[in-house]
Amino acid sequence: MPEAGLPPFEAYKLGAAYDEMFAADGSVRPQFAALADRLTTLPPEELQRRQQACETSFLHQGITFTVYSDKQATERIIPTDLFPRIVTAKEWDKIEAGLKQRILALNHFLKDIYSDGRVLKDGLIPRSMIYGSKHYRREMRGLPVPHDAYVNVCGSDLIRREDGSFAVLEDNLRVPSGVSYMLANRDVVRRAFPSLFRSQGVRPIDHYPRELLATLRALTPVREDVSIAVLTPGVFNSAYFEHAFLARQMGVELVEGRDLLVNDNVVYTRTTSGLKRIDVIYRRIDDDFIDPLIFREDSALGVSGLFNAYRAGNVVIANALGTGVADDKAVYAYVPRLIRYYLAEEPILDNIETYLCREPKALQHVLANLDKLVVKAVGESGGYGMLIGPHASQAEREAFAGKIKADPENYIAQPTVQLSTAPTFVDGRVEPRHVDLRPFILHGEKTVIVPGALTRVALKRGSLVVNSSQGGGSKDTWVLSN
Amino acid sequence: MLSRVADSLYWMSRYLERAEHTARLLAVKLEITAEQSSEEAEASWARVVASLSSENEAPRDMDAPIITQHLALDRSSDNSLLSSLSFARDNARQVREQLTVEVWENLNRLYLKLRGTDVLDARYPAVIFREILQDLHALGGVTYSTLSHGEGWYFLELGRHIERAQLVCRLLDLHFGAAKTTVSADPRYFDWLVLLKFCSAFEPYCKVYTAAIQPEKIAEFLLFDPEFPHSVRFSIDRICDALAHVAPGAPPGRRASVERLAGRLKALADFTQIGELMAQGTIAHFLADIAAQCEEIHDAVYAAYITYGAETVL
Repeated sequence: MPEAGLPPFEAYKLGAAYDEMFAADGSVRPQFAALADRLTTLPPEELQRRQQACETSFLHQGITFTVYSDKQATERIIPTDLFPRIVTAKEWDKIEAGLKQRILALNHFLKDIYSDGRVLKDGLIPRSMIYGSKHYRREMRGLPVPHDAYVNVCGSDLIRREDGSFAVLEDNLRVPSGVSYMLANRDVVRRAFPSLFRSQGVRPIDHYPRELLATLRALTPVREDVSIAVLTPGVFNSAYFEHAFLARQMGVELVEGRDLLVNDNVVYTRTTSGLKRIDVIYRRIDDDFIDPLIFREDSALGVSGLFNAYRAGNVVIANALGTGVADDKAVYAYVPRLIRYYLAEEPILDNIETYLCREPKALQHVLANLDKLVVKAVGESGGYGMLIGPHASQAEREAFAGKIKADPENYIAQPTVQLSTAPTFVDGRVEPRHVDLRPFILHGEKTVIVPGALTRVALKRGSLVVNSSQGGGSKDTWVLSN
Repeated sequence: MLSRVADSLYWMSRYLERAEHTARLLAVKLEITAEQSSEEAEASWARVVASLSSENEAPRDMDAPIITQHLALDRSSDNSLLSSLSFARDNARQVREQLTVEVWENLNRLYLKLRGTDVLDARYPAVIFREILQDLHALGGVTYSTLSHGEGWYFLELGRHIERAQLVCRLLDLHFGAAKTTVSADPRYFDWLVLLKFCSAFEPYCKVYTAAIQPEKIAEFLLFDPEFPHSVRFSIDRICDALAHVAPGAPPGRRASVERLAGRLKALADFTQIGELMAQGTIAHFLADIAAQCEEIHDAVYAAYITYGAETVL
């Protein structure tokens, strides 16, 4: 049997983190046995060739994101790793149940804070945290949404801790992206390891676009000739490939703000034959930019009058507006309590322990332990506005401490968690790299989670930052059927 | 179909046609240079430059590698082959969901290939253009056989043939018309052959008129042949056909504003005789008229289907 440290895994050094492929004693975990076996028979040149084929395929398909620097825009592919990350059926069942529970509680919470505010009256969450959040939309108060589903598409980030248990790191409830990479990775990795794929009993994920379409369709009372559109900021957005991909796979129109107009509270697209009514908009534009009349008036991406059409019930927007208030990093700390409060159940998936700097005791603890903690700004995402204590210099920590003291409500801190590692093909060798897991949850009339996920991987040795904007790559994720 | 989508498809197609034209002119020119005297070669380079480049940025130096590099790879020139392909791809990217995987990947690969070329191989300079021509023809075939021949397809046809008709008119103008004297002396026998090759017309021409090269017959063939795909009349027929199929649900009044212009242009191409043009010396005027009417059709299509004011239809 292959082992960590022995060929072809001589470069594979197990650390403190949980490793997806090898147990602590260096033996291969059962779900990875077939892959490990396969790797002992494939020379590195052959792996290199397959890796190259994956990358070429991405480049030709135009699965790229645009990096704007030094005046010139360059298109880069998000590196895909050759090896799948494998999740057992048992692990998946728990993840699935936990995420369904979580999205239900979060939707209850959104309905609550945009109607009676029971949770605030009961004192479970401080009012100032909600009403002071920059993502709270008072325009949404009292506005009914179909099936009480505010969040229709969610991409939660999970990590695996040292003891092998999964925990939720972040709920992305606004306009989560990455699902096209989940599907594109499957496409290329399945081609790289066809026989392995067949023999493993991997659950299919290709029906995601159909499920998304069904979810969107069920949001409108219109039954015949439902007209659905994906609203994109346009070709310069880094996720444009995904917007076009989803529109094409669902067979619906991809529109930009300039294609839409609102008349008498009805939304139309401008077509060659005249105006055509739109019933459901799957928007990939942030709240702020969606309607210059209501939100940011300098937005050129949105549609004037869209919000009034929405308020009049003439168009459905998915996700609903104002969902960002619930994926705020401070609200995150309360999610286990929200699950107990709304569902009277114990949370199935853990949270990461979180210190709210708004609480004086926690603030003291955070400032005293900056070298051990990760500090994040509450409203930021994408790896921006954060401090990774153990990797930062003394000066960086001091500067950040100043920022925290100036505005404690804006910061939370978490212990540095060792993300689990998974085998990754780097410079012709198999090495462990840190990974997370982002499954995609569809929620409307019912809740559906396609058995797969985007596994993001930090390609730099030892790095814990998996964001693609900061040098991360991605992996195909195989969920086994038994 | 979304107006914005129609706009992108139309321009994608126009730029691809321009790219194909540029690649063909360069390939043909580089292949025949060896057979020309230096004076002939220079005159024909001047014609190539005049037909592909705007006047103010055309290189003054008639040195083949410099011109080729400029017409093919100059990123700063909107008229270079690389720019045309880049614009075509940008437009395709904006309507990525309207194209098939095959169409997009062929176009993207083609663009990446030329973009990866920094310097042309001096020993076989024509090879890259022949390859690109072949890739563009393959792209045309893939488009024909994988994309539904619906409204989008007809916007592609419209763009391709409006561009083609104008490009062929421009070439003819440099050989017969107003631009003739300003660029070079009267084209000689060999130049007529090159003109045919510029329009990939040599063999089709010979099938109709035999290999006897007669300028008037060449003009007739490139203007009025109803079956040859690079003749002006053929393009005009395709334009009319495309216009009959786009914007099927548009109000009759708006459709009529476009179709009237198309009908007028078609009549011009159908009923004009080459003999009269030559005898009366009105060919320059005729070519300018065709090009101007193509522009009018372009404007009318935009006004009727793409940029119309929303208040006119509510």
